[in-house]
Amino acid sequence: MRRAAARVLVALGAALAACSNDPYPGADAERKVFYTSFAEPPKTLDPAISYTTNEHAILGNIYDTLLEYHYLKRPYTLIPGLATSVPSAEPRGGGRVAYRFELRPGVLFQEDPCFERFAPGARTREVRAADVAFQLARIADPAVNSPVVEPFSNLVGFRELGKALAERRESDPAFALLPRHEQYPALGGIEGVRVLGETSLEIVLAAPYPQILYWFAMQFTAPVPWEAVAHYDGEDGRDFFADHPVGAGPYRLAVYDKYARIVLERHPSWYGALHPEWRAPGATYPGEGEPGDAAAGRLDPGYVGGPLPFLERVEFRREKESIPAFNKFLQGYYDASGIIRESFDKVVREDRLSPEMAALGMQLEKSVIPAVYYIGFNMDDPVVGRAGGERGRKLRQAMSLVIDAQEYTRLFTNGRGVPAQSPLPPGIFGYDEAYRNPWRAVDLERARRLLVQAGYPHGVDPTTQAPLRLSFDTPDTSARGLLTFQFFVDAWRKLGIDVEISATNYNQFQEKVRNGAYQIFQWGWVADYPDPENFFFLLWSEMARSKSGGPNTANFSDPRFDALFLAMKSREGDAERLRSIREMTALLESERPWIELIHPEEYALYHGWLRNVKPAGMSYPTIKYRDLDAARRAELRAVWNEPVRWPAFALAAVGVAIVVPGVATFLRERQ
Amino acid sequence: MLAYVIRRLLYGAVVVLGVLLFLFVLFFTVTDPDDVARRALGEKALPEVIEQWKANHGYDKPLWPWQAERATESLLYDHFRRMLSFDFGRSDADDAPIAERIRRGMGPSLSLTVPLFVLGLGVGLALSLFVAFFRETYIDRMGVFLCVLGMSVSILLYIVGGQYAIGKLLRWFPISGFDFTPELLPRFLALPLVVGLAAGFGSDVRFYRTVFLEETNRDYVRTARAKGCGEGRIMWGHVLRNAMIPILTHTVLAIPFLFTGALLLESFFGIPGLGAITVDAIQGNDFSTLRTMVYIGSLLFILGQILTDVSYSLADPRVRLG
Amino acid sequence: MQAWLISNLVAGALFAGGIALGVAVRRNRLWREATGELARRRPVALGVIALFVGVALLDSVAWVGGVEAGEDVVAVLEAQSVIDRAFLGFQEKSYSAPFASAEFYGGARLAHPGRHPLGTDILGRDVLYLTLKGARVALLIGGLTSLITIPLALLFGVSAGYFGGRIDDVVFFVMSTLASMPGLLLLIALIMAMGRSTLSVCIALAVTGWVGFCRLARGETLKLRELDYVQAARALGVSEPRIILRHILPNLMHLVVVTFVLMFSGLVLSEAILSWLGIGVDGSWGQMIDRARDELSRDPIIWWNLSAAGAALFVLLLAVNFVGDAVRDILDPRTLRENL
Repeated sequence: MRRAAARVLVALGAALAACSNDPYPGADAERKVFYTSFAEPPKTLDPAISYTTNEHAILGNIYDTLLEYHYLKRPYTLIPGLATSVPSAEPRGGGRVAYRFELRPGVLFQEDPCFERFAPGARTREVRAADVAFQLARIADPAVNSPVVEPFSNLVGFRELGKALAERRESDPAFALLPRHEQYPALGGIEGVRVLGETSLEIVLAAPYPQILYWFAMQFTAPVPWEAVAHYDGEDGRDFFADHPVGAGPYRLAVYDKYARIVLERHPSWYGALHPEWRAPGATYPGEGEPGDAAAGRLDPGYVGGPLPFLERVEFRREKESIPAFNKFLQGYYDASGIIRESFDKVVREDRLSPEMAALGMQLEKSVIPAVYYIGFNMDDPVVGRAGGERGRKLRQAMSLVIDAQEYTRLFTNGRGVPAQSPLPPGIFGYDEAYRNPWRAVDLERARRLLVQAGYPHGVDPTTQAPLRLSFDTPDTSARGLLTFQFFVDAWRKLGIDVEISATNYNQFQEKVRNGAYQIFQWGWVADYPDPENFFFLLWSEMARSKSGGPNTANFSDPRFDALFLAMKSREGDAERLRSIREMTALLESERPWIELIHPEEYALYHGWLRNVKPAGMSYPTIKYRDLDAARRAELRAVWNEPVRWPAFALAAVGVAIVVPGVATFLRERQ
Repeated sequence: MLAYVIRRLLYGAVVVLGVLLFLFVLFFTVTDPDDVARRALGEKALPEVIEQWKANHGYDKPLWPWQAERATESLLYDHFRRMLSFDFGRSDADDAPIAERIRRGMGPSLSLTVPLFVLGLGVGLALSLFVAFFRETYIDRMGVFLCVLGMSVSILLYIVGGQYAIGKLLRWFPISGFDFTPELLPRFLALPLVVGLAAGFGSDVRFYRTVFLEETNRDYVRTARAKGCGEGRIMWGHVLRNAMIPILTHTVLAIPFLFTGALLLESFFGIPGLGAITVDAIQGNDFSTLRTMVYIGSLLFILGQILTDVSYSLADPRVRLG
Repeated sequence: MQAWLISNLVAGALFAGGIALGVAVRRNRLWREATGELARRRPVALGVIALFVGVALLDSVAWVGGVEAGEDVVAVLEAQSVIDRAFLGFQEKSYSAPFASAEFYGGARLAHPGRHPLGTDILGRDVLYLTLKGARVALLIGGLTSLITIPLALLFGVSAGYFGGRIDDVVFFVMSTLASMPGLLLLIALIMAMGRSTLSVCIALAVTGWVGFCRLARGETLKLRELDYVQAARALGVSEPRIILRHILPNLMHLVVVTFVLMFSGLVLSEAILSWLGIGVDGSWGQMIDRARDELSRDPIIWWNLSAAGAALFVLLLAVNFVGDAVRDILDPRTLRENL
C-alpha cells in the first residue's frame, strides 16, 4: 500500500513534466513488437473448447496443428504443419475410410514447469502421435464439454468412449479420481484413433467425410501434452489448463492478464527455429500466392523462403470501446485495425483508401469472409412456422420481399458485403454468382398481394382485427443492435405487420430458445472450413435446436432437404454434389426459413510499416508471417503525435482575464 | 465509552448480516443457478456437465436450511459462511478466483481514486473558498452558475468529450490504457483525473460554498471582524477550520468507495481496477463477482461509518451516545 | 387495458391534479407566497420546465385513427399521440444534417427537404421528434420513481419517527442495510434480477433512492413530535392518525417538494448511465446519447444526434437545478443542507 502511495506521488509530479500520449515504454519503440487490441477477454485457452475468433487469434500462435492453410493461396489450400504431408483417404472395408498422419520427429513443446513434475529435470519433451490421440480423446470426454463433438462423431468409437467415460466415472469412484491421461487408455481410447509409432497416427472414419482434414488445421486437434492437463488443475495455487496453454507453436504465452494485456513471445526452440534446414511449409515464407499478392508486396524476394517467424513479440491490449481503439490506431499505436463503421467514411472513399489515409502511408485489404448473416424464422412457431402451412410460407415470403439487403449494407456496414441470395458465400464450392433469389429482391406490391393470399390483408390478423403481431427476439440490448432491428421492423410495418423487438438479457433469451418461445431472430455464421457442408448443416433437421440443441435455430426440417444434404455431405466436389446444392438452394428459396441478408466483407487497415498482411477469413495463425519496420514506425509516431499546446495557455489566459478584474474591484471596494 | 463502541460494532455486524441476506435473496432465489451455468458453459452443455459445474461453484444444494437434511447443507448457510470468511470462490463467467482478481484490481483502482479524492477535495475547497470569499460579486454568481451547469451534464458526455478533445484533437495524453510503471502511470492517469475532477466539481464546490457561507454568518466571524481581523485571515484561520467538520462528515463517507473504484472512468479508460471488474461482471452476467463487489463495498462503508461515529463521540462530547 | 388508454388516463389525472394543486396552493397563504416568490426569482427556468411538461403531456394523449402515415401501414391502426401526429410520415432514408435538403452521405434528395430542424438519424428518423419523445421518458422516470419513493419514505419515516421503539428499530435497520450497499451496483443488481423494463428501472431507482428522504422525514418527525402543539394535541386525546395527518404531514410538505425537485436530476442522470450498460429505458435521452457517441468519429462528423439529446437533457436538468436551488432557499434554508 505504501509503495502504491509513493508511486502515485511520483506519478503526479511526473505528470506535470511529461506530456505525451505514447502508451508504451520507450525501450520498446525500436523493437519488432506487434501491437493489436482485443475487446472481450478470452473465456478459455483450452484448444479443445475454445471456439471464438478472438480466442483463436491468440491460441493459433501457441498451438501448432498437424495441417495448416496456405497463407496466400485462394481458394484455401491445406499444407502440412506438424505433419510431413497432407494425407489422403484410404478406403477400408465396410465403407470405412482411414487417414494416416506422419508427424515430424524432434518437434519440441514449449518449455514449461509442468514437465518437471513428471520427469525430474525435464523442461520440455518431444511431440508424439499419442499427444494428438490424447487431445482427440479429450474432445470425446463429456467432462471437457467440447463444442465440436458432432463433427468428430464420424471417428469410429468416438461416441462410445464418451459414453464409457461417463458410465465408468459414475459407477467407479476410484476410476473417476484417476488423472485424465490414465482414464482414456484404461478404456481403450477411441477405437478409430490408432497410434502406430512415436510419430505415426491413423484415424478411421465410419463413413466418408472428406471435410475431416479441415478439422486437423484447427486448434481443436493440436497435440497437447498430458503433463500440462494433469499439472494445471487449479489446485494449490496452480493455474487452470484453460489459462495456461502449452503447445508446440511459434509463440509462447508470456503474460496472461486477460482483462488487460496478453503478451506472446517468440518460442526459441520451435521446430522452425531449430531446424531451418527442413524448410518446412509451416515454417517458411511461401513463394507463391494468388494473383495480386505480388503487387501488394506479399511476395517480396526479401521474405520468400525466409524462416518464420519475423516478429519478436506480440502485445494484445484490451480495448473495450471501439472508438478509442481506432483513434489509437490512427495515432500509430496499433499496427493494424478493422474499420469501425463510424470511421469508415474517413478511411475509404469510393471503395479505395481515402487520400488523407493514403498520405499517412496506410494500406487497405478487402476480402469476403466465408460467412452469412440472416434473419431466421422459428419453424416450430404456429404462425410463422411449419404449422402455418401455406399461410405461413406466404407470410415468410412476403416478409422476405421487403427486407432490402442493399440498403441494410449501406446503412450499417458502409456497403461492405455482398447481398446474400442463399446461405453459400462467394469462394465456397457451389456458390453461383449469377444466381438471383426471386424472394430477395424488394417488391412491396407483390409482398402485399402475398399477404392477402395468406389471409392477412394489409397485415390485419382476421382473428384480432388488428395488425398481425410478431416478436423479434434477441439477446442484444445494445443501442446499436436495437437500431438495426428497428430497420427490419420499419420495413415490415410497410406491410402492416407489427413486429415487436423483444430484447432481453442473455439468460432470458436462452430460456426462450430452450422453450421454443421465439418467432424471429437474427443470426450470423462464420465458416469453420471452406466447404458448403458447413453452411447447409445449419438447416439439417438433425441439428435442430428443439431436437438436439444444434445450431439449426430455425428448427427447419424437411425430409427432401435432409436426403440431399446427406448425399452432398460425403461427396468431393463433383457434378452430382453441385446438383444437390442447386436443389437445396431452390428448396430454401421458396420455403424461406431464412431471410438471407449479407455475406460480410472484411476491410483490414494497416500501417505502411507492417509487411505481408493478408486478411484471413478462416481463423488460422497469421502472425508468424508478418513483419514490421520498427524504426519507421517510431519516426512516424513522433511526427503524428506532437501535442497541441496553445489551448492550455489560452485557457489559463481566459481564467486570469475573468478573475483578475473581479479581484481588483473587490479589493478596491474593501478599502 | 467502551460500551458504546461495542454496541456500535455489534449493530454494524447485524447490518452486514442484513446485506448478506438481501444479496442471497437477489442472487440465489431470483436468478436460477441453472441459467448461470448454461450461460457459462454454452447452450449445448450436457446435463451432467451442468451438474458438475454447479457442484464446482457450490450451487448444487437446496436453497434454504429447512429444505436440506442438515441446515449446514444449504446454499443460505454456504453463502453466509463463505462471505464471512472471505472465501469468495470462483467467477461464474470464467472460473477465475475472485479474491485474486480483487487483489490485483485494487492497485489500479487506488492509483486512480486516491488522487481523484485528494485533488477533488483540495481543488474543491480552494475554489469554494475563493468563491465564498468574493461572495455577492459576479465571481460568486458566475461560480454558482458554472457549478449548476456542471451538475447538469451527464458524466458520459464528460468522458466522451474529454477523450475526443484532449486525447484525440490535442494529443496531450493517451486516449485510454493503463500501465503500473512510474514511466507510464502519470500519462495514463492524467486524462481520467481531469475528466473525473471536471465531472465532480459542480456539486462539490456548491456544497462547500454553502457550508462556508453558513459559517461566515456566525457570531464569531462578526466578532473577529469587529476586532479588525483581515478578511483573508478570517477565511483561512476561522471559517475553514470550523467548516471542516461538516465537510469531513460528507467526505469521510466517500472513502470506502475509493476501493470499489470509479465504475465508468475505469471502464472507459481501460484501467483494470475494481470498477472495471464490476462492469465486466455486469456485462458478462457474472453474478458471483457482482455480489462479492456489492458485499465488499457495503462492508467498507459500514466500517467507515462506525469509525466516523466513534471518532466523533471521542472528539465532540455533545454527540449523544446512542 | 391498452397502454395508450392508460397513458391518456394518467395524463388526464395529472392535468386535473395539477389544477387541483394550483387551487390548493392559491388558498394557502404560505404556499401562495412561496410560489409567487419562486415565479419572481426563476421565471425562465420555470418556463422551460413548463415547456417540457407540456411536451410530455402532449406526447401522452393519444388516440387511434385520422392519420396519413405514408408507407407505415401499421401506424394508421395504432394509437398516435399529438407529438407522433405532428411528425408522422416524416421519415427519410438515412442521415441528413439540420435543415438539409439532401442526404448527408451520397447526397440523395430528401423526401422532406429543409423540414428537419435537427436533422435525421441513421434510420432517417427526425431527431427533433426523437428528442421531444425523450421528454416524456425523462419525466416518467423522475415522476414515477418519485411517486413510488415519496409515499414509501413518508410512511416509514413518519411512523418510525413518531412511534419510535420497535418500528423505529426495524425501519432504521432496513435503511442502514440499503444505504450501506453501493448505490449504482445495487441499482444494477436489482434491474438484472427483475428484468429490463421501464417499471423495473423505476422500482430499482426507488428502492435505492428512498433511504435518503426517509431518514430526513424520520429526523424531522422526531423534532415535530416534541413540539408544544403536538404534545398539546396528544394531551387533549386527539387520535394518533389524526395528529399525523393534521400536524405532522403538513409540516413535512416543504421537505417533500424540495426532495422531489432535487432528486429529479439525479434520477435522470442515473438513467443515462444505465443506458450505457444496456439496461436503460427505451427512448430515453440516455439511450440517444449512448447510440450517438460513436458518431463523433464519423467524418464528416455527425454532431446533431449527440448534441440534441445532450442539450435537451442539459437544459431540463439546468432548469430543474435552478428551480431546486430557489425552492430550497425559499422553503427551508437550513434543515436540508446536511442531508442533501
